[in-house]
Amino acid sequence: MTALTRQPRGTVGVALVLAVFLLAFLVVPVVKVIFVAFQDPASGAFTFVNFVDFFNTALFRESFANSLYVAFMAVLVASVIALPLAYFTTRFNFGGAALIQTLGVIPLIMPPFVGAVAMQLLFGANGSVNLLLDEWFGFTVPFMEGLNGVIFVESIHYFPFILINLSAALNNIDRSLEESAQNLGAHGMRLFRRIVFPLAMPGYVAGASLVFLKVFDDLGTPLLLNVNNMLAPQAYLRISSIGISDPMGYVISVMLVLFSLLSLWTSFLALRGKDYASVQKGGGGLARRDLGGREKVMAYAVVIFVLLIVLSPHFGLALLSFGTIWSYSVLPDAYTLANYREVFETSSQYITNTLLYAGLAALIDVVFGTAIAYIVWRTGVVGRKWLDYLATGALAIPGVVLGIGYLRTFNDITVPFIDKPLASWWVIIVIALAIRRLPYALRACVAALHQVAETLEEAAENLGATKYRSVRRIVVPLMIGGLLAGFVTSFATAAVELSATIMLVTSETDAPLSYGIYVSMQSAAGRGPGAALGMIAVIIVGVATYLSQRVIEKYRREQTMDGQLVPAGGAA
Amino acid sequence: MKTSRILISMTSAALLAVVALITAPQTRAMEDKVVIVTSFPKDLTNAFKSAFEAKHAGVTVEVLNKKTTAGVKFLQETAGNNTTDLFWASAPDAFEVLKGDGLLAKYDLKATGIPELIGAYPIHDPDGYYKGFAGAGYGIMWNERYVKAKKLPVPREWSDLAKPVYHDHVGMSAPSRSGTTHLTVETVLQGEGWEQGWATWKEIAGNFNTVTERSFGVPDGVNSGQFGIGIVIDFFGLSSKGSGFPVDFVYPTVTTLVPANIAIVKNAPHPQAAAVFIEFLMSNQGQEILLDPKIRRLPIRPDIYAKAPDGFPNPFEDSSIGAAVEFDVDKSKARYNLVNSLFDVMITYRLDDLRAATKAIQDAEAKAAGKGNAEAARLIAEARGLVAKTPITEAQSLDKDFADIFKKKRKKATDKVTGRQAEVEAEWDNMVKDNYAKAKALAEQAESLL
Amino acid sequence: MSTEPVGVTIEDLHLSFGSTQVLKGVNLEIEPGEFFAFLGPSGSGKSTLLRAIAGFGPLPSGRILIDGEDVAALPPWRRNVGMVFQNYALWPHMSVRRNVAFGLEERKTPGTEIRERVDAALELVGLIDLADRRPSQLSGGQQQRVALARTVVVEPRVLLLDEPLSNLDANLRVQMRRDILNLQRQLRLTTIFVTHDQEEANTMSDRMAVLNEGVIQQIGAPMALYDHPANLFVADFLGTANVLRGRFSRPAAGPRFVSEDGIELPLAEPPAANADAGVVVLRPQSINVLARSKPGETGDVVLDGMVRYREFLGAVIRYGVDVGEHLLLVDHGHRPGERVFEPGTEVAVHVDPSHIVSLTE
Repeated sequence: MTALTRQPRGTVGVALVLAVFLLAFLVVPVVKVIFVAFQDPASGAFTFVNFVDFFNTALFRESFANSLYVAFMAVLVASVIALPLAYFTTRFNFGGAALIQTLGVIPLIMPPFVGAVAMQLLFGANGSVNLLLDEWFGFTVPFMEGLNGVIFVESIHYFPFILINLSAALNNIDRSLEESAQNLGAHGMRLFRRIVFPLAMPGYVAGASLVFLKVFDDLGTPLLLNVNNMLAPQAYLRISSIGISDPMGYVISVMLVLFSLLSLWTSFLALRGKDYASVQKGGGGLARRDLGGREKVMAYAVVIFVLLIVLSPHFGLALLSFGTIWSYSVLPDAYTLANYREVFETSSQYITNTLLYAGLAALIDVVFGTAIAYIVWRTGVVGRKWLDYLATGALAIPGVVLGIGYLRTFNDITVPFIDKPLASWWVIIVIALAIRRLPYALRACVAALHQVAETLEEAAENLGATKYRSVRRIVVPLMIGGLLAGFVTSFATAAVELSATIMLVTSETDAPLSYGIYVSMQSAAGRGPGAALGMIAVIIVGVATYLSQRVIEKYRREQTMDGQLVPAGGAA
Repeated sequence: MKTSRILISMTSAALLAVVALITAPQTRAMEDKVVIVTSFPKDLTNAFKSAFEAKHAGVTVEVLNKKTTAGVKFLQETAGNNTTDLFWASAPDAFEVLKGDGLLAKYDLKATGIPELIGAYPIHDPDGYYKGFAGAGYGIMWNERYVKAKKLPVPREWSDLAKPVYHDHVGMSAPSRSGTTHLTVETVLQGEGWEQGWATWKEIAGNFNTVTERSFGVPDGVNSGQFGIGIVIDFFGLSSKGSGFPVDFVYPTVTTLVPANIAIVKNAPHPQAAAVFIEFLMSNQGQEILLDPKIRRLPIRPDIYAKAPDGFPNPFEDSSIGAAVEFDVDKSKARYNLVNSLFDVMITYRLDDLRAATKAIQDAEAKAAGKGNAEAARLIAEARGLVAKTPITEAQSLDKDFADIFKKKRKKATDKVTGRQAEVEAEWDNMVKDNYAKAKALAEQAESLL
Repeated sequence: MSTEPVGVTIEDLHLSFGSTQVLKGVNLEIEPGEFFAFLGPSGSGKSTLLRAIAGFGPLPSGRILIDGEDVAALPPWRRNVGMVFQNYALWPHMSVRRNVAFGLEERKTPGTEIRERVDAALELVGLIDLADRRPSQLSGGQQQRVALARTVVVEPRVLLLDEPLSNLDANLRVQMRRDILNLQRQLRLTTIFVTHDQEEANTMSDRMAVLNEGVIQQIGAPMALYDHPANLFVADFLGTANVLRGRFSRPAAGPRFVSEDGIELPLAEPPAANADAGVVVLRPQSINVLARSKPGETGDVVLDGMVRYREFLGAVIRYGVDVGEHLLLVDHGHRPGERVFEPGTEVAVHVDPSHIVSLTE
């Protein structure tokens, strides 16, 4: 697009700062961890023998196969959930489409391990549903048995990735592309299969590969469901055992990272040159049509059924938080507010910490994301693509690996003035969160930048604005909607992240909400307070997401009503 | 072209945000606080924290909750720049590991009037590094509603859990995940002997519903009714019951009482406050807190039991608790990691195979009962033998060189260990998997004869 | 690949977006084989009308008859009406050939026939060599041709073109205009196209309908509409017009018009009966400027004026001439060497009464 011949020294400087940040807080810690995998446990020499051991062990091969199986199945189930929701809300005039979109995103803002607890209570072998089934019909369904349980919980947790990306892709399809197919005789499923779906494919693939990756890497859910024969739990169990320095845990970490990178790369290849949105612009999305009476009933039935399943973890969590004793029964024995009272008395610091950490992390993400997006897409800095690859690569790093890497790398670095190791200073949690969520924010920033035609910037420069001022007065304001979206994604998901956080929390006063939930969930006196804290997390983040969704919508409407962001005539 | 300026200003905004954090108020660090890494639940730590802070105004107790294993890992990783004063957890072996790594500081207790032993186990570390503050023993907990609904008899002994009636109803944590679970496994191995001990464990494990990742997963599973019976440390059972869950708990005859411990971490930033905290723990006031219904641990001061509620077990009077086994700490220490690894290979990671084999054997036995079919009986016995088979002998387990494969704390580059853990485990795994499959086939063959 | 062309009839068509009425009772008859234009400013409802014929947009009330069959309630895919979209709407994930084959595939045409017809259609638009490219690799003009080929290959009953030339640059536009026209003649397809450009409508259409605010203002051949606009809107929209407001009178000597500021014009044709107040429209090229001394055509009305400015448009020179309180635009055919009037020159403005169009308001 741009052929910038001169690279101002400052731009290169900023690119360098970003590169150093990513190297220091992503590459070095990760290398420090996975390096062990290439060490002979006996002599300390460089070797691949550990990988030979990996493939020679039936258990690891099995775990590998299980992880792949679970990831594929989770993508499949998540697609089944996401498809109708995305389709109905983008294609039909559907009451409460915004509500569905928000509710559909809610699972993401709940730590998966919390979801697993609630799901176990509802769908477990002796959970509410099976107790009822057994009582009424005399049979039970093993929803949560072994790998099934993992697939079930993961797909409910991660399907929003597909929903969000697919909805966006569907919304970006120019209406005339669909109409011209109808005009030539296509309709219904054929129209969807031949035109709509292929055009939405890039969005779907982006979402699906993300789900695949997250499920492949996820640790909390299999651990909580006591499923050990998968790669992530194997890695964790081996790394965290007392006194054992078996390198297999690190070997498995390498396998996780490699495979995640591979799936990222595959989706990257699959999507290359298929950025259809940039070919056809300004269509205002597919035509929404009204549903007939019977169709409406059917559609609502499907959507409500899906939402019921999707929101069941929240429902279970709510019951747990208001319940007294819930043991081998369909519902808790009685209800109380005591759990909430206890939480408000003892745990308010978790809430403020979370707001602070997740807010700062999201701010860092949006600022760095914008800078990286700008450098990658609008400048010619040598090696700029690597900033993108590096930042996106953070997706492939399991949280545990990053956490251990931080402990290993930053414990010997003392922060001046406060005389504490960097690894146990709470700022490291913010940085870990920022690194972990940067890929999401970066994508949002890139998308937002793409919406601002370069001519708009040039027009400003032409009228005498310096580059700096034109970026500040034209580009950034036009990106605000997208940046806000990026901020919210980062914030909401950072607020409930646990896997890296739990390694880095060094004092309770510095601990965030997810840590608080984790700890409160481990009381023999019952998990009520933990559940109450979980509900508070869900509500805070949910409300924040909903409000910003509204703001973004409003902003978009204004933008498209006042005129196009993209000047007309771009197609020629 | 001033592209750079905006980028610089954006980047510096982010950096400013980071810098702003630095200036956030920090508590002054000098003996006005004590930082504790612990695996204990909030109910316990909060009770001690508030009582201690009430007594010693101006001292803040910072509690950092980590699973025992993660806590050890944490102390190891942060040793170079330690920020922790106290390590506070159940399993003595976790302290042994830290002691072995030179991460603990010696401490001479000032408190008096504490006996030498609880059950058969010394309360304090003979080397003077860690101190016991409460007793705990392993036992069996069950969910009353579950047991009633599934019409199960209440188990009393470990051997009860091997009965076919409990198939798929039992839960336990892995010894590699929980230090106290390890002690229970080791106790049975020592009490019944290596071969018979493992056979017992595998018979019980054949009835497992699940092997939980955390020790808390067991009371949790029993409390919620996910499975009916759990092998748990007493305070989990007692405090669950105390909190109103429909559960109960017993000590089987073969059990060991072990102290839950606390130790000062080497190079602790607040050593004085740490010492005061330990003394508080040992004082009458501290010991009484243990009787709280949400805590329910066994005090180490015999006179405290006078204030305990009815039915509270008293190891200093009831000699049947935890006295049946003379626990050999050195033996346990020598093969610590090896036993963990063996348990995981044979049980945790092969649970499905083991369960299938066990189920087949149980079915065949049920069918064979009273029929006097010698061939079937022989096949079943052979199947049992295959399941029980352990890859290594007790002598091997105590062979230092072999056990070292599982420790591999290479202190110097010249330290040499032959064999890799993964290699050994792969070999075990193949053998175990084979045996379980064969056992299942034999049992099915036996059943087909009947 | 041609069948008998069919007619399109639209009867009392109403259509609303929510509470906004966009079409307010449209009646229209398009002859078989006709090249028909919907002309109007943006927001006039012309595109909505076209889309309604194709079956897109909200359900209208009224009737849309294609070859006598009411299609108003049919979904788009049952209408067999070919539409070329303003942005061409080529599917980016398919090659040119796949794009063109799409409609035939939907019609379950046998594979060999599809191949032949697709080749023929691409041949027709001259793009057979680019058949395996992706749409994103084509220029705007080429995309336009692919869109045309894709539409005509299914032999639709009616061809609809939505602003077909708006995304092309000026040179290409003239070329494409002719190509479309040729194609239409060759295929003898009843064709309707939407444009906001009266030159496009004039050059291409047999007849056209001028729309404003959801109402058809006038229907007719381009020249008829230009010369005899039914109202001020049509007069103004079809070309530059001098508009004078005033009153009609009908003395025995023949009808006359007196503007508000006293300019008197005789009328060749009487205004509509009973109309007192009204306007007259004078096209710039119907007026002439001459030196005061020169005689004009007999029968011309001569008004005194003074040149205020002059614009050279190539074929003509346009003068702005002050007459009374009016600024009249006057086009004078440009011939090299002929005298031009400088601003400030006193001139005589000649008006042929037969070129005066009188309208009531």
